[in-house]
Amino acid sequence: MPVLWLILIVLALAVAGFIAGRLRVTSAGAERPHSLPNYYGWNVAMKVMAPAFLALVVWLLVQPMLVDRQVTAGLGEGAVPEGSTLGLVMSDVRRVAGGLDTAVSRGLITAGDADAMSAADSDVRSLLGEAGVALGSDVSPEVLEAAQDYRAMNSAGNFWRSAVVILLAVGGLVWGVAQSNRDFRARNAVETGIRMILLAAASIAILTTIGIVLSLVGNTWNFFQVYPASKFFGSFTWSPSFGGGSELGIWPLLWGTLYISFIALVVAVPIGLFAAVYLSEYAGPKMRAWAKPLLEVLAGIPTIVYGLFALLTVGPLLLTVFGRDGLGWMQAGTAVMTAGLVMGIMLIPFVSSLSDDIINAVPQSLRDGSYGLGATQSETIKQVILPAALPGIVGAVLLAASRAIGETMIVVFGAGAAARLSLNPFDAMTTVTAKIVSQLTGDADFASPEALVAFALGMTLFIITLGLNVFALYIVRKYREQYE
Amino acid sequence: MTDATSQGAARPRTSLTAADKRTQRRNAAEKRFRLYGLAAIGAGMFFLVVLLSSIIGNGIGAFQQTFIEVPVYLDPAKLDKNGNRDPAEMAKVSTFGYNPLIQDSLYQLVQDKGIATEYEDGGDMKALISASAAAQLRDRVLANPDLVGETVEFEILAASRVDGYLKDRVTRDSITEDKNIDAGHLDLVDALLEDGTVHKSFNLAFITGSDASESRPEQAGLGVSMLGSLFMMLVVLFLALPIGVAASIYLEEFAPQNKFTDFIEVNISNLAAVPSIVFGILGLAAFIQFAHLPQSAPLVGGLTLTLMTLPTIVISTRASLKAVPPSIRDAALGVGASKMQSVFHHVLPLAMPGILTGTIIGLAQALGETAPLLLIGMVGYIATNYPDGIISGFMSPNSAMPAQIYEWAKRADPAYYERAWGGIIILLVFLLVMNVIAIVLRRKFERRW
Amino acid sequence: MYDAPLRKTDVEANEIKISAKDVQVYYGENHAIKDVSVELQDKTVTAFIGPSGCGKSTFLRCLNRMNDTIDICRVEGLISLDGEDIYDKRVDPVQLRAKVGMVFQKPNPFPKSIYDNVAYGPRIHGLAKTKADLDEIVEKALRRGAIWNEVKDRLHAPGTGLSGGQQQRLCIARAVATEPEVLLMDEPCSALDPIATAQVEELIDELRTNYSVVIVTHSMQQAARVSQKTAFFHLGHLVEYGETSQIFTNPVDSRTESYITGRIG
Repeated sequence: MPVLWLILIVLALAVAGFIAGRLRVTSAGAERPHSLPNYYGWNVAMKVMAPAFLALVVWLLVQPMLVDRQVTAGLGEGAVPEGSTLGLVMSDVRRVAGGLDTAVSRGLITAGDADAMSAADSDVRSLLGEAGVALGSDVSPEVLEAAQDYRAMNSAGNFWRSAVVILLAVGGLVWGVAQSNRDFRARNAVETGIRMILLAAASIAILTTIGIVLSLVGNTWNFFQVYPASKFFGSFTWSPSFGGGSELGIWPLLWGTLYISFIALVVAVPIGLFAAVYLSEYAGPKMRAWAKPLLEVLAGIPTIVYGLFALLTVGPLLLTVFGRDGLGWMQAGTAVMTAGLVMGIMLIPFVSSLSDDIINAVPQSLRDGSYGLGATQSETIKQVILPAALPGIVGAVLLAASRAIGETMIVVFGAGAAARLSLNPFDAMTTVTAKIVSQLTGDADFASPEALVAFALGMTLFIITLGLNVFALYIVRKYREQYE
Repeated sequence: MTDATSQGAARPRTSLTAADKRTQRRNAAEKRFRLYGLAAIGAGMFFLVVLLSSIIGNGIGAFQQTFIEVPVYLDPAKLDKNGNRDPAEMAKVSTFGYNPLIQDSLYQLVQDKGIATEYEDGGDMKALISASAAAQLRDRVLANPDLVGETVEFEILAASRVDGYLKDRVTRDSITEDKNIDAGHLDLVDALLEDGTVHKSFNLAFITGSDASESRPEQAGLGVSMLGSLFMMLVVLFLALPIGVAASIYLEEFAPQNKFTDFIEVNISNLAAVPSIVFGILGLAAFIQFAHLPQSAPLVGGLTLTLMTLPTIVISTRASLKAVPPSIRDAALGVGASKMQSVFHHVLPLAMPGILTGTIIGLAQALGETAPLLLIGMVGYIATNYPDGIISGFMSPNSAMPAQIYEWAKRADPAYYERAWGGIIILLVFLLVMNVIAIVLRRKFERRW
Repeated sequence: MYDAPLRKTDVEANEIKISAKDVQVYYGENHAIKDVSVELQDKTVTAFIGPSGCGKSTFLRCLNRMNDTIDICRVEGLISLDGEDIYDKRVDPVQLRAKVGMVFQKPNPFPKSIYDNVAYGPRIHGLAKTKADLDEIVEKALRRGAIWNEVKDRLHAPGTGLSGGQQQRLCIARAVATEPEVLLMDEPCSALDPIATAQVEELIDELRTNYSVVIVTHSMQQAARVSQKTAFFHLGHLVEYGETSQIFTNPVDSRTESYITGRIG
């Protein structure tokens, strides 16, 4: 039974339950029930849906894993041909199984045939071709058998899935309706249910973090199985070659990342900070009303736009000044300087609006105190406000640094592709994020170290930015508490 | 405190109106400092102006395309040998059958107009005509078989080099090494331009059309990937809004002060600052590797962007909930409403404008996000087909606006750069509209307590 | 050590230090100060009293142009210091405020060390040439602020770590360190406990030897204790101005009498 049908059945039961629950209290006499009638309906509907859908979701997640494991175990070592991996064979198995399903549903073969056929006496490949599943090679007997096992297990699993889900739904219906008498506190029950839903929604944040960590850790682990961690962290060369024999040292990428971020901060912090100081201390309400939103337009522009701006406008512009026709320091438009400069522009509003908040949090009484002593505005800013706001501003700069380190599109377009350790800011370099993109969008096999390295890079990136964020948020929070 | 009484006014009396040297210096420092601030704002504005003008300057050309108006004789001998005008039969003639018709017609036109040219037959006209022209003519003929045998005015798409020549992207110097076009062709274009046969006009196909192969930039459009973005945004809207609001209500109204709540809060504030590319890795690992959802599907893109947008929406929703004064909650509780009723009947409706504003801004962010889409495979192939329905809109491979722009920017032909800039203009128009809606919503429903 | 009851300090007090004529203050549309004319004497403590919102603090802030920092505030009329119009276009408010110092309602030490708090004013005004000069100025100011003995061992501890009363005396020391001619005090004791209040009051009386002190206060007892002259404000008007003893014992205006006896306020 397809999942969609299952969902519809549960929904129908829920509607029936709603009506039944409601009717039971409204028809039971003149005495007023504890809660409004609708709450009794909702209580039953909730009890129908919650366990059933929960079971369905868990089943949908667990069954493929179990079946995969069973079938993989059944395949054994012999089924994996030379030059292939278990993972590739398994994806073949899944394709064949899917093809058999399609063939059965189109009436090309009967369900019985699909279970009974053997690779020896029927041309599975052409059959599947007819069903719209093109295979690269003939189907080996092991794969066909595994595919048949796969189908069998899945259909058994699907049967039990439907049975369990419907049973739970019906059970919930009976329980809910039985509860529905006037003394039952239906509103409280429903509200507890809603609270659970709210809590579940809030927990998605945790699930996301767990998902990120799991997907990074698992694949990074796989990477270190095929490529030694000591070389990843110890080598100063980055030269992936998809034929094998790659050297995948992280340092050139990390260097490029930090160098570009540094230039970005050198551009963004002074401009952003001075802009924030001017806007919060000097500018009249009119100027604030137009200058602030205009600066924030820079923050609302997608990073792909900045990437293109770096590649097609800033790069060529820098090249005419610093390139062969100018000072001769630059070889190509893509360089650390290009990416850093554009990233700096992107970060200006980020720095300025964070600093603006922080400067505004400095109490007015400190300003008054300083003006009362005859200090000029700039003296007050330099000697009272900025020192008082320093921790917050440091936090803001750290947040901006974390942004810069994690930025992808600008470096993909602006920084170049060559990984090198160089001090010249007009050299092309590459970054962690740019390499994550290039290693995962190529044609590499997912199991090769050249693709898996992207997860190790992602892990590094995640840890660095997480550390920076936690630290920065901690500083900013401490700072705010000081003036609350 | 004897020293207190022994103090006199230490400094001589000075006039207030005459600034002494030191004050002058200090005031000069003040002016300088103020100037730095102004300069910083000026720098920000300058960058904004440069950015916007380079976008518009480079991209506006994509909305204009070069066409050649040619009367094409649809020769029955070639298109419909049996004379039945049966579309099924005529469909057997492929685009290769149409190519010579167009080329010969163009050659004929040049001859009729008496333009002197070194070229001797229709085949030499090929460089002027887009490779997609034949397919367009064929579609038109198959839709209306009665046209066969007549001469129809046909506005054919000019080749990308010709288009570039009209837009100053291609010059006579730049084509010396170019195998696709010769100087003679440009002479011909000049002549045809004069009498209006070759002309530029508004390029609707850029906005509504589909992507084209690498060699036909003149045909590429953003329409299909726009649909891809639309489907992604639907996923984000229908998942991120309810989940985000539910999570915010829990955290703001119901969450007890305990370790678990703190842990959720820490998670949310950190997720808001996790680089978007990491969400791409999550999407790849969770939805494609683990859940076996189809690659390049807007559904997967939408799910990934949902996770990325959630923290933003939660943070802004909580701010709106916080802005509803406690007296409203107390009033509801005071008439016997439950906590849940006070939230859903009173607080939430009052916070709704703020929540919607935050959601729209979150959506706008998601719409422009590119990096995660690269990892879940929304680039690297050509989005030529419109989805056939709702389901396939979510499930079948597609691109998205920013991914399409990325794809174009990666292609070698400079004609695609113009498309990329043009795509950015369209993307920014969408973002602008969304932000304006958000601002209007905020202005209209803003409430001061 | 000084150990006598208040108002013992004996100084000549007659010269006019600040004179205001027909002063009007507007906050946007709101007319906050109406037609105030007053002459404040040198080496005198003048108290401004009146119910909340009567404009006494607003008027005080006009005297060193602190109102300039508020965008919507507008001052009309003539206020002069030693005969010079302080709202003249050529007057630099920074120079003015160096001469007319101010102490605020809530103690507002900068988040710096005690030493740096006091040294801030002398530094920006360039009063000290050497480090030793500065040390001397700081010590003198802290002594005059009657807080030297409490903080001399921890001059480099943060000023925010002091108790409320100490903080306020630090702020007074900070204000006198720049050698002002007039000291404006905006309810300097409102955030302090009675003991700290007594210390600050003692200090105010002492400061009279060098400065013209103007103090805004809510407490009539305080005004009676520390001031020689008293001005009573009501709804933006200066109702009555005269010798403190006369105002408190024999007010001319019925509104003053009502306030003093607690009927309005």
